[in-house]
Amino acid sequence: MPENIIVLDEANFDQETSKEMPIVVDFWATWCAPCRLIAPHLEALAKEYEGRVRVGKVDVDQNGSIATRFQIRSIPTLLVFKDGQTVDQLIGMVPKDSIQELIDKHVS
Amino acid sequence: MKEPSAKSLERMEKFVKIFCEKSGTSTSPQEGVTDAVIQGLAANIDELKKPLCPCRFYPDKQEEVKHRTWICACDDMQIYKYCHCLLFVSPEGLPITEYLPPDHEGRKTYGLVKDPTPDKGRPLRHKGAEREKERRERPS
Repeated sequence: MPENIIVLDEANFDQETSKEMPIVVDFWATWCAPCRLIAPHLEALAKEYEGRVRVGKVDVDQNGSIATRFQIRSIPTLLVFKDGQTVDQLIGMVPKDSIQELIDKHVS
Repeated sequence: MKEPSAKSLERMEKFVKIFCEKSGTSTSPQEGVTDAVIQGLAANIDELKKPLCPCRFYPDKQEEVKHRTWICACDDMQIYKYCHCLLFVSPEGLPITEYLPPDHEGRKTYGLVKDPTPDKGRPLRHKGAEREKERRERPS
């Protein structure tokens, strides 16, 4: 996993999503092809927005309780968290521009 | 996730080839897409005895296989010719969204993608209303 992507699990999820700086959380799974296709976009955006937005990933097969808690069904699902609240979401193999628009709504 | 067995991989590879011909769909031109999904389906055959879609999260996989909703080819494929997992797509690699209800997440994500072979596929097209009722009552 690239160093600018935060690997989220049950131990650190609440801590990382409760910070003031927004975090885009990608709910993904190993054999999910659309998840693989958006991964490079997220890595690029994590670099471009460094210091303004963070990017994290939750492997739903390893962290079922988190996926259940946020009623994840279709993957990839991107949720944006700020101050511990879910403030936005995107579902599916969206283009990089759409993820960027999502982020821009929540950065100052 | 555990690597799938050669037997299950072979089964899914054959199935994908036949289903593409039958439904008038293509596999993705993007490298790695088809292989990843086939591996996920094969891994689920090994684990659950059924090719459960690997592009969804199920709170309880064993419970989910009791329904046929997300067993490949899933209800969305058989009714709307829509494959969220990008296994059965248009020649350009996009999921066909033409027949989806307007509020379906596929239409929101991909817009309108026309079916290039409307004379093929959708054997359960008459079950759209039933599927939407299930989507509301048993989100899965």
